[in-house]
Amino acid sequence: MPFSRTSSNVFQSLCKRDEHLLVARVKKPPASADDRSSLFDEQFLKKLEYLHMVSRKTFVGQNRADRRMRKIGSGIEFADHRKYSTGDDFRYIDWNVYGRIDKLLLRLFEEEEDLHIYILLDASKSMLIGDPIKLHYAMQMAAALTYIGLANLDRVGIVPFSESLQTSLPVARGKQRIFKVFDFLRGIEAGGSTKLEAATQSFIHRYKRKGLVVIISDFYDPGGFEEGINSLRYNGFEPFVLQIYDEQEVNPNFHGDLTLVDCETGVAKEITVTKSLIEAYKREHEKYCGELSDFCSQKHIPYFRTHTKIAFDQLVLKIFRLGGFLK
Amino acid sequence: MNFLAPISPSLVAKVAALSAALLIIAYILKMRRRSFEVPFSTLWQRVLKEKEATSLWRHLKRLLSLLLLLTMLAGLLLASLDPVTGGSREAARSIVFIVDTSASMKTLDAGDDGTQTRMAAAISKVDSYLASLRSDDAIMIMRMDGRATPLSRFHGDIPKHRKLLKALIASDTPADLHASLSAAADALRWRKNPLIVLVGDGAYSEESLANVSWKEQPFKEQSKQSPQISPQLKGATNTLLASVDLSGIEVRYAPVGHTGDNVGIISFNVRRYISNKLNYEVYIEVHNFGHEPATRRLVLYSGASEIDVRELHLAPGQTLARIYPDLGGGNESVLRARIESVANSQDDAFALDDEAWALIPESKRQKVLLVSEDNLYIEGALLIFDYIDVDKLSPSEYEKALDVGSLPPYDSVIYHAYTPDRVLPAPTHLLYFAPEGPHSPFKTIGTLERGRITFVSPTHPITRWLEMSDVNFDSLTGFRVDESLGEVALFKSIRTPIAAAKKEGRRKVAAFGFGLKGTDIMLRVAFPLLMVNTLDWFAGSDSDLITTYATGHTIRVPLDGTYGVSEAVVSDPSGKTHKAPIRDGYASFFADTVGVHTLVASKEGQEVARIVLACNLSNPTESDIEPSTKLLLGGQELAAPAFVASPVRQSLWTYLCFMVLLLLIVEWYTFNRRITV
Repeated sequence: MPFSRTSSNVFQSLCKRDEHLLVARVKKPPASADDRSSLFDEQFLKKLEYLHMVSRKTFVGQNRADRRMRKIGSGIEFADHRKYSTGDDFRYIDWNVYGRIDKLLLRLFEEEEDLHIYILLDASKSMLIGDPIKLHYAMQMAAALTYIGLANLDRVGIVPFSESLQTSLPVARGKQRIFKVFDFLRGIEAGGSTKLEAATQSFIHRYKRKGLVVIISDFYDPGGFEEGINSLRYNGFEPFVLQIYDEQEVNPNFHGDLTLVDCETGVAKEITVTKSLIEAYKREHEKYCGELSDFCSQKHIPYFRTHTKIAFDQLVLKIFRLGGFLK
Repeated sequence: MNFLAPISPSLVAKVAALSAALLIIAYILKMRRRSFEVPFSTLWQRVLKEKEATSLWRHLKRLLSLLLLLTMLAGLLLASLDPVTGGSREAARSIVFIVDTSASMKTLDAGDDGTQTRMAAAISKVDSYLASLRSDDAIMIMRMDGRATPLSRFHGDIPKHRKLLKALIASDTPADLHASLSAAADALRWRKNPLIVLVGDGAYSEESLANVSWKEQPFKEQSKQSPQISPQLKGATNTLLASVDLSGIEVRYAPVGHTGDNVGIISFNVRRYISNKLNYEVYIEVHNFGHEPATRRLVLYSGASEIDVRELHLAPGQTLARIYPDLGGGNESVLRARIESVANSQDDAFALDDEAWALIPESKRQKVLLVSEDNLYIEGALLIFDYIDVDKLSPSEYEKALDVGSLPPYDSVIYHAYTPDRVLPAPTHLLYFAPEGPHSPFKTIGTLERGRITFVSPTHPITRWLEMSDVNFDSLTGFRVDESLGEVALFKSIRTPIAAAKKEGRRKVAAFGFGLKGTDIMLRVAFPLLMVNTLDWFAGSDSDLITTYATGHTIRVPLDGTYGVSEAVVSDPSGKTHKAPIRDGYASFFADTVGVHTLVASKEGQEVARIVLACNLSNPTESDIEPSTKLLLGGQELAAPAFVASPVRQSLWTYLCFMVLLLLIVEWYTFNRRITV
């Protein structure tokens, strides 16, 4: 199917729809820095289409689903053997092997099904910091990945979280859903502190269907990130870590006597910021990010780190190049 | 290190305490911190936990900042106390250097080859004393010539004193030691370790040297106990007040000069003969102040012309007086006497008294118009003057001449028993006998029958040498005299002025309230004398006998026609001008230059009076240039100054200010670089 041409036509018609929506949003009173009206404009949509076209070149299968789950199930492609256990279906016993080695082994097949992609979007207060605001950047990333997933006939859902899960966008497929995605993203209310573990626990209980879980967050969780990511892993989900930070967080440019207030917890700390303190902070920040990176590396979890000055489409292309999202 | 403390130390201490307290309070009080929102304070807390190990150093750094500021404050306050190095506070002295700048200090006998003036030597000597003073000595330099002039207040800024010292020049006036010692003693009163250093040649009058009291004056001692002065002390008080109280003050003397050979003119004057105003005689007195016989040539000049040359041989200490009688002729009014060296004689070391000036009183033939009916008494009285030309007109002829305008200009007009309504224009002087009616120069207030003159003005030139008490009059006319308009009563009968005089610009007017009928005045000697005085006053020659003045004194010179003028301009021989106040017709000014001076009084741009006068040193004490190596002051011999070279004094306040500036830059840098915060 000439998907590209069809999608281009659909895209143009959708753009017109979205233009109407954009106008409606512009007419709202000017908001503060958290103005989301121009997040998903025409330019954004064009970039999405471009990213989709790039993504198609990397795909290998075009059958039931554009991408395969690493799931052993009822598919037709042999995957592996395992020992027979009581209760297993006799039909899958490999009798040939039994004849040769006199052992009962069960034949396993890869199950081919459409991929479920969950985007866990951090909507805590800390995501409202930055220039541009990290949440906006995260929303654009989420929208981009969602569009690519939808365009590849995957099922994509968006789950905002902070201290717990917020109202989510149900998992669905079909590229035409992208505008609902935009509306959903625009409507996300940021607030609360980051509690990744609690959020993932809720997520596991809510979503039984395994899939790819893209966590877009700054990972500024006082409780740590390890438990949250491990929970996903232990429950059969494939975590995909995307860390977003603002340059100001890495290179603070303030000096002197200050009261630092944690935007999430409200904890205030009077400090005198000196050059050496800034250097120590930079080291600490790098160390923290390094811990996350090392953790993901050890667990074979795709990990990307970016600051908000990098265009989201460049990041997506980078993700494409390094793999992990597209298979 | 010592402090000159231009600001009271107690005040500085108060300011220091207050400022330090404010600084510390400012450091103790927490600054209002800016609030800054961060996304993840956990990272900061981790960093701070690591930094806690070094928090002591951080506090110390803040303390260092405070210490820097306190050091700056201390530096500024210390600078305000003007600290100096060298010397000790206990030995601080108050020193007045009295530098003799009198005329004798112009003597050329100082230096190795004798080509330096004593003034230069004195300056050099004081300069060397200044170099060896202690840092905390407070110094005042006082100039001593005809007046005592403090050149500065007490301070220890040696460069400033040196600058003042280098500008000193010797004057043409004698030294007034009494005034200088009085001023120095008054300046040193109540100051610690007072010291007077007198640097000069010792040419001071015996009276000023003797008129000194070394003991505290008894009325002062008593006044400490009781404000009432006891009667027995009252008599002594006046004498003691006249002496200089040097009790408790150390006085040192540093002599300059070494030669005493000098021949000088100590008196030079000229006067016109009273009987013959056209001629004059000159008096000169020359003295040899040296220890060797001297031969000099005395030259008398009239203007630029030599009119007499004489060679004088003077024994040591001899005074020669010379009179030049019956001199006359020529139009020059300035006479100059000069002593010149003859062949094989040495030049005079002190040249100032080798020259003297005198002015011949102005005199010229006066044209006098007598307007009177025939009267032999007055005509006869005018005949005795050989320096006036008299024309006589009757009143009717006078009025006809006025009508046709045929009257030539006259210096003076005498109206006898006639009061015209028209008079000759100024500057013709007018003399009235028995004026009456509305045209009288002075308003008449009535007639006195058989009145007598009971009062004769003791100061007016017209009434000089007159005795009028036994003169008889049938009747006298009284005048109203307004002294506020410059009118003066010459004669009075009881309280009524019967003769008066006044000046109207350049015109002088005199009026007598009597005629020459019904009186015996014309039979008295006083009558021709009255006419002489009046015409002399008209001619402006009332100061005949006073034409030369001595320098170093305030001269009071009569200036005719200066009614309503408050000051005159004095031009000294070098051309410099200065103002001289005029009061009651007399101008006063201090003569400090030898030579011919000119006084000019102007009113509304018009010159109303001018007088020329000569000033000479005319002071034998000053001309006696023999330096006194020892000086007896109040019977006590003065010791030489004993200044020991002291360490170089150095004012530190500039360095302190630089240090504070440097600390300020360091503090600013460290603060902005967050080193001390």
